Amino acid sequence: MNIQTVEIENYLCYYSTNRFEFSKGLNIILGENGEGKTKFFEALQWLFIGNDHRLDLLVSSKRLSEAALGDSFSVSVSLSVEQYEQIKFLKRSFTVTKDGDQSCLIKNEIFEGIEESKKGEREKVDAETLLQQVFPAEIRKYSMFKGESELNIFDNDQALVNLINLFAEAKHYSKYSQKGEMLLTAAEKAVANNTKSRSKDKKDYEVLQADIKELNRKKDNLSTLLAENHSQLEKVDKGLKEAEKYVDNAEKLDILNSRIANLELSISDHQKQIKERYTTYLFDDNWVLVQYESIFKEYEEKISQLSKERRKLQTEYDKQQGKKEAEREAAYKLFSGQFPLPFNVPDKEIMKELIEAEHCKVCDRPAPKGSEPHDFMKKRLEEYLKLQDPKESEDPEQSTLFEKDYITELINKMNLHNDKLGEVRSIRKKVEDLFDFNKKRKLEVGDLEDKLEKEKEERNRLVGSSVLAEEKLSSIHKNYNGWQDDKTRLSKSIMEYEMEIGQLNSQIKEKQSKKDDIDLESANSFVIKTREIIRDIEIILRETVENKFNEFIEMLQEKSNKYLIDINVDSFTGNIKFDASEIDGKKRIKVSLCEEDRPIHSPNESLRTSMYIAILFAISNLAEQSREEGYPLIFDAPTSSFAEPKAGEFFNIISGTNGQIILLTKDFIGKESQSRKLFIKPEFDNVNRAKAFWLKLERPFDRNQLRTINTNVINV
Amino acid sequence: MIMARKDDILKTFLEHKILVEKYELRVDELPNSITEAKQSEVPIIRSIALIVDSLEGPQADTDSALRNLITQYLNSAAI
Repeated sequence: MNIQTVEIENYLCYYSTNRFEFSKGLNIILGENGEGKTKFFEALQWLFIGNDHRLDLLVSSKRLSEAALGDSFSVSVSLSVEQYEQIKFLKRSFTVTKDGDQSCLIKNEIFEGIEESKKGEREKVDAETLLQQVFPAEIRKYSMFKGESELNIFDNDQALVNLINLFAEAKHYSKYSQKGEMLLTAAEKAVANNTKSRSKDKKDYEVLQADIKELNRKKDNLSTLLAENHSQLEKVDKGLKEAEKYVDNAEKLDILNSRIANLELSISDHQKQIKERYTTYLFDDNWVLVQYESIFKEYEEKISQLSKERRKLQTEYDKQQGKKEAEREAAYKLFSGQFPLPFNVPDKEIMKELIEAEHCKVCDRPAPKGSEPHDFMKKRLEEYLKLQDPKESEDPEQSTLFEKDYITELINKMNLHNDKLGEVRSIRKKVEDLFDFNKKRKLEVGDLEDKLEKEKEERNRLVGSSVLAEEKLSSIHKNYNGWQDDKTRLSKSIMEYEMEIGQLNSQIKEKQSKKDDIDLESANSFVIKTREIIRDIEIILRETVENKFNEFIEMLQEKSNKYLIDINVDSFTGNIKFDASEIDGKKRIKVSLCEEDRPIHSPNESLRTSMYIAILFAISNLAEQSREEGYPLIFDAPTSSFAEPKAGEFFNIISGTNGQIILLTKDFIGKESQSRKLFIKPEFDNVNRAKAFWLKLERPFDRNQLRTINTNVINV
Repeated sequence: MIMARKDDILKTFLEHKILVEKYELRVDELPNSITEAKQSEVPIIRSIALIVDSLEGPQADTDSALRNLITQYLNSAAI
């Protein structure tokens, strides 16, 4: 859509009918302060949204003063646009009837819409619908800006949501993460109910559920507090920036603030490096073993002693056993009067044959069964056999001294520990190194804190030495110091809340894992499987939504940086960084200018303005892509912080961008020193533009007499 | 061929790495449309298709209708 014409009739300083014919590309409206630039912008705003104010206040005083009592005339603002090769008209107007010296009656306020077909036929249409069609309200929010302060579109909670709803593909996905969460809650509940109905330890399970619920409640409370602190911190930051405007030596204050910010960052970096989670290190990193070596030595000595003792005892025992055995055998033979068969006596097998044959071949005489020689042979064989197997007669309980070999097991363990002794020895060094490291960091933090304190004192002196009215200064100074304290306090609280939330998350995870174990043991497998899949679905839906959101932010960042470089050609820009965060369920975007990854503290106004304009160009470009249609950008005095040459460069650069831009500026208007006559500076000839206008009050006029005020629109 | 928005949304969800890494599905066997995905024998794919179809239809299902649709399907698929 392109604006073709704007007509302003009897509206404030615009006496009679004033017509602007715009082109595609850059349209510049020049004008000294108070000569009608802002009124042009406000006339467009009135056309688009009307207002509740008294309409008589919008009437041109000059026109009213010229009218005779009872005369009527029209006040209107109208616009024609070209959209899809069709011309469309919008007009807001009312009729004024003079009923007193400077008073009037207002009638017939109307808002009209007309569409012209390609054949040139005109048709009346509903103006509100037509306006929404040609220049939707949600687009105007990112298209019309009054002054530099309005350019920071991210300075409100809804900005990002609006932006995504307008241009990002992400808007189609946002509902899915909520649905995923809803399905997951139902699936978790189904599993819990099923587990409870089947579990033996119903009570323990209920306690676990209650614990998880309580931890989540605490986490939610902390998240709310965290969000409140973030929001307060933002307000404090704004207050501080506002107060700093009143400080005379702004440049020095900037340097001081920058040094303070760097010191605070450095302190925070140092503090993050300090590792004092000693309880965790004690167990997780085995610090508890630092004294282990001496205990191990004692253990080693004892084991060695025990081993020696055992061997000694075993040897002694073996000796005793051998001796006992010999003694036992000898005693047995001696006391029973029995000896083993002599050398010349037949062996066991022959003896058996002799007994069976009932004949003694030694003395060669018969030995029938039951006879004395037969009994003798039998007895001797039995005694011989008994002597041949002495173990049978032993007491089994007396066979070993040590039934279990514990000493060998202890020795094996000792060898194993010996291998790991190297690691254990290094713990002492690690502990010493960490203590040493922490001590050094703490000393450095102390030094940095001293420096920070000095810088803050210096800043207080600077703020306090401002030459503003004493009363105002005193109030600003008082607030300023209070806000600085608030900022430190809030930053600290935010850090603590974030840490607590992190700890709660670990506890919830641990309890949830225990609960899952019970679920797995107790619940029906199909309920568990369903939950498993729904858990994955929830992850897929949530992460895809996040990815889409991040893709949009990345694209916006990339485009914005491209425009920033174009706008600030040949000069330092840094880069625009979009930090997305979620506070209390709401997604926020913080935009900052960074040098590499570090934010530039307090960038100058012109650089900041360049950044905002670059972002707006990027958004406009996105609008064109997503809606397949471009919209004009209308800026009132966006470059008031730019030096004039820079403004010229800036205009030349943006004149090369696609789309229509209408820009109101006081740059390039000069004033002759003697005659006080206004003129357009020759430098303006070097500014590329499609069209230019000069808003100039008709001279002479009396600033205190509105009826003398009339803005002439001069085509340049 | 211009894809319907719901097919486009489904495709984006099916690009999630969990389907390849955990469910060991090959990228080339992933369905290209809601109609195809609703016939899938892989419960997670069919469930996602049912969700997208339900939410992108002319009249989106209520939360409870969607919950019943998905849990009933998954429970029967899991038995």
